[in-house]
Amino acid sequence: MIEFKGVTKRYGAKTAVDAVTFAVRPGRVTGFLGPNGAGKSTSLRVLLGLDHATSGEALIAGKRYRDLTFPLRTVGALLDGAGPVPDRRGADHLAWIARSNRIPRSRVGEVLEAVGLTDAARQRTGRYSLGMRQRLGIATALLGDPEVLILDEPVNGLDPDGIRWIRSFLRGYAGRGRTVLLSSHLMTEMADTADDVVVIANGRIVADGALADITEGHPSLEDAFFALTGAASKQVWS
Amino acid sequence: MSVLTAAIGAELSKIKSSRIVRLVTGVVLGLHLLIGAANLGDTTTAVRNIGADGLIEIFAGERVLAGEALVDLLIASSLQIVVMFLPVVAAVIAGQEFLQGQLAQSVLSVPRRGILVTAKAVALVLYIGVVAVLVEAISSAYLYASVQDWNPGLVYAAGTLAEQARLLALAVLVSLVSFAITTLARSTLIGVVVSVLLMALTMTQVLARTVPSVDALLPVSAGRNLVLDAADADLSSGPVRAAVVLVAWAVVSTLVAGVVLSRRDAR
Repeated sequence: MIEFKGVTKRYGAKTAVDAVTFAVRPGRVTGFLGPNGAGKSTSLRVLLGLDHATSGEALIAGKRYRDLTFPLRTVGALLDGAGPVPDRRGADHLAWIARSNRIPRSRVGEVLEAVGLTDAARQRTGRYSLGMRQRLGIATALLGDPEVLILDEPVNGLDPDGIRWIRSFLRGYAGRGRTVLLSSHLMTEMADTADDVVVIANGRIVADGALADITEGHPSLEDAFFALTGAASKQVWS
Repeated sequence: MSVLTAAIGAELSKIKSSRIVRLVTGVVLGLHLLIGAANLGDTTTAVRNIGADGLIEIFAGERVLAGEALVDLLIASSLQIVVMFLPVVAAVIAGQEFLQGQLAQSVLSVPRRGILVTAKAVALVLYIGVVAVLVEAISSAYLYASVQDWNPGLVYAAGTLAEQARLLALAVLVSLVSFAITTLARSTLIGVVVSVLLMALTMTQVLARTVPSVDALLPVSAGRNLVLDAADADLSSGPVRAAVVLVAWAVVSTLVAGVVLSRRDAR
């Protein structure tokens, strides 16, 4: 269970997220939707203890992320802006992370195989393509076999095979009673994957509920999204 | 405790698996090997010419007690590498954290920043400690090659080992200062530049000659005051005060870096 309780984050005079409150239930894939700059990544960074909330709190299994002992065994995360140093090999990147949380070294090979990077394990990550870096990020998230997965734009850079793989993987993951929070701005992808949807615009939650409830009365999730965030989306592009 | 030991292990893995850190370390050790090889002939000749009075002429016209002079030479040869280059290695290690989102990944893995910074500092101390021991071992091997027919026991005499231990402490402490500065600045370049400036201020002796009381407060000067003999060099303080200054620099700068890293967002 993930809970955001009135999380506000300000950078100087700018309010990035404003009193964000919602919950993510186990056994379901929850989509976190919003236009660019709406506050998705900031919310996730606060949840994961990377940014300090100005007020409010975000909890995972009733605890702040920083209070989890060996957090990667509970939470796996893929975030833009958290990645490997280019001069380190892919396997070495995973090895130090595994060591930091006392995760068996054997998991490195397992997750590399799961994301199809076994052959590139000894390559330096600076030579990875965008898709390979994304796969390595997913491998990092899976390293501790966590109960909770938090993925920010996971299909960025993935080829069609990779997109299909992650979709079925996340469905299976939630199907085993685990918690999946998936941030994306790809509507069709989200419509195919999510059970629940949380929509954020201009730093505020504008909709939160089952996918069927959110899309009710709209031809598609995309139409529902624009109906909910229309003004905010136009603001971004104007 | 197990969280801290796991974090230290992870930081050591990071250091060992970084190609740039291995490269810079290799260059430093290679340079030391080359400089030592270049001086080996002169030292060996000087040892061969030690007179019955036990005096040696290492520098032209200066005849001094051979044992003490050779130990001073041993320490001086390691000292230049320790104060000039090990802080650079430390800056490179610390600066890796601010490349390509590495800091965010580190905080995801070890979210308690106090533990993260402590683990980083301990791992740095262990790595720099090993490199410093290798520097000292290289210097000792060259000295042994020079004195093996005169007094081979000089290399591992208690007095010599005590001097080496002080140099090891210096290596670790000045590198911690460089690590802290780099962490505060979030930049390898700034860490390297500040380390070089501190070293230059000490080596040029500008402050030591004009305002020695200020010079004594600089970390590299304190290191010099700690390991060199007052009879052979212009020092700006005694060894006890130097040790206090050096430890204070390392502890305070690392604490400040830790506090700042904890308060900032991990970007």
